[in-house]
Formats: sequence, structure tokens, C-alpha cells
Amino acid sequence: MNKQLIALLSCTTLLGACATHGINTDRSELDGARQAVSQARQAGAETCAPKLMAKAQAELYWAAHELTEGVHPDENAMHIAHAEKFAMQAKDKADKECHKPVEVIALTGVNFKTNSAELTPASTAILDAAVATLNKRSNIRVEIGAHTDSRGQETYNQQLSEKRAMSVGDYLVSHGINADRLAMHGYGEAKPIADNATAEGRAQNRRVELTVLN
Amino acid sequence: MKYKLFASGVLGCALMSFASPAMAMSFPSVGDRAEAVRAEVGKVHNYHAYLATQFASIAESEIYDHDLRAAKEFIKMAEEEAAKAGAAK
Repeated sequence: MNKQLIALLSCTTLLGACATHGINTDRSELDGARQAVSQARQAGAETCAPKLMAKAQAELYWAAHELTEGVHPDENAMHIAHAEKFAMQAKDKADKECHKPVEVIALTGVNFKTNSAELTPASTAILDAAVATLNKRSNIRVEIGAHTDSRGQETYNQQLSEKRAMSVGDYLVSHGINADRLAMHGYGEAKPIADNATAEGRAQNRRVELTVLN
Repeated sequence: MKYKLFASGVLGCALMSFASPAMAMSFPSVGDRAEAVRAEVGKVHNYHAYLATQFASIAESEIYDHDLRAAKEFIKMAEEEAAKAGAAK
């Protein structure tokens, strides 16, 4: 009876082990392909080149399976070569797509009254130029990012910057820019570009920027 | 006694003849599972969706090569990736 029970338990354990796949890619023959796939993954290929990355990964597993069979050496070599080729293509594409330089249009001169989201009269000329740019480049979407210096409470600066981003957005929309092309974001004091310890630095940090999204 | 044995045998055969198709229907083929994976991830364009369809194709290829064990392994991997594709939507 005990022998039967042990046999039954052993079979159950083995069946459970079969529930996960048994394809082992940690073989020395696959070192090159595995490294290429890993490099592509690190470059962000799963996000920026998903089709090529999937092909590379699939070929790697296929190669690993064929190696366990040990019957078709030509097929093994083909799958390994395919895995490396697709991984390199995926990495190249990811290097371009994932790390596109971000275009930022600084709205230098756009200012607000102190502790307010009300635009100063001098700001309208700069915003009119922004309207003209957005009309000229009618296919771009932009994020309106408003920033403050670090004086005062962080939460207050965050809320103020959000209101200021909305204020700029309202101006652009009221001058004909489609609201669907705009995203408003207040960054508060979180992203300084200069030293907040100096008056000049704080002035630089108090800014509004348009970041091109597409 | 002999009559009872004969009747049991006939009954057993009758049951098996009805059971076999029913058993076959409860275990979809690798090809059916591959189609199901493609239908599930057809409109999803992320890495897991693409990998699911790749594994499904490999599974079908292994069936063509008469390697049922490998086909089942790859279709299971396809189904796992399809589940991740849905979650990553």
C-alpha cells in the first residue's frame, strides 16, 4: 500500500513538473544569440521594436528546442542565426525609436503675476508666436509644462504650476489651437534647470515649455 | 453468466463508441489552439502578442514535423504569452 502511495505521489509530482515548459536556453551554443537578445531587451526593444524582438526570442527558443533533439544541425544553425539577426535589428530600431531626442520649445518671456496664474501682458506676444508655430506645424501635439522655483511650499508650487499650465492652454485654445493637441502638466519645483540659490537661477526655473509629443 | 458477460461487453462497446468523440471534443488540437491564440491577440500590438503568434506558428510547424511533444510545449508557451498580452493592453 505504501509503495503504491509513493508511486502515485511521484507520478503526480512529475506531472506537475511538466506544467512549465522545459526549453533550456542556457546552452553554450546559444551564448551569442542569448547575448544579442539580452542587449536588444536592454535597449528597450520589447517596447520600441516588439515585432522584431518577438521574432528573436521565438527563434532563440526554437534553436534551444532543436539543440535538445540534436538531429538537425543545419536547422540549429539557421535558428541561431535568425535569433541573432532579429535581435540586432530589434536593438538598432530600439536605439533609434526609444531614444529619440525630445524637442522642447521654450516659451521664454511668458510670465505670470506673483502667486498667480494670470499671464502678464508681455506674455501675449510670445504666446502669439507659439500659436503661429503650432498652426504652421499642424501635425504636432505638445505638452505645456509649467515650472516654478523652489521658494515656498512644494505642494503650493505644484498647484500653482498646474494652474499656470492651464492658463497657457486656455490662451492657446482661445486663439484657435485644437485642445486635443495640447496636454497640460504642472511640474512644480521638481525639474529645475538652474540653481535655485541665486535670483538668476530662480528666474530661469520659473518657466513654461512646450514639449513636442510626436 | 455468459449472457451477462456478453451484455456487459456490448454495453461497454456502446459506451466507448459514444465516449470517444466526446473525449476528442474536450481536447482541442494544437491547430485549434493556435487559431484561438491568433484570435485572442489579433488586434493587440505588443511584444507578448507578437511572441504568442510566433510560438503558435512554431507549434504548428512541429506538428508538421510529427513532434507532438514539442508542439504541445510551444502552444502552451503561446497561450501563456497571449494571457500576458491581454494583461499588458
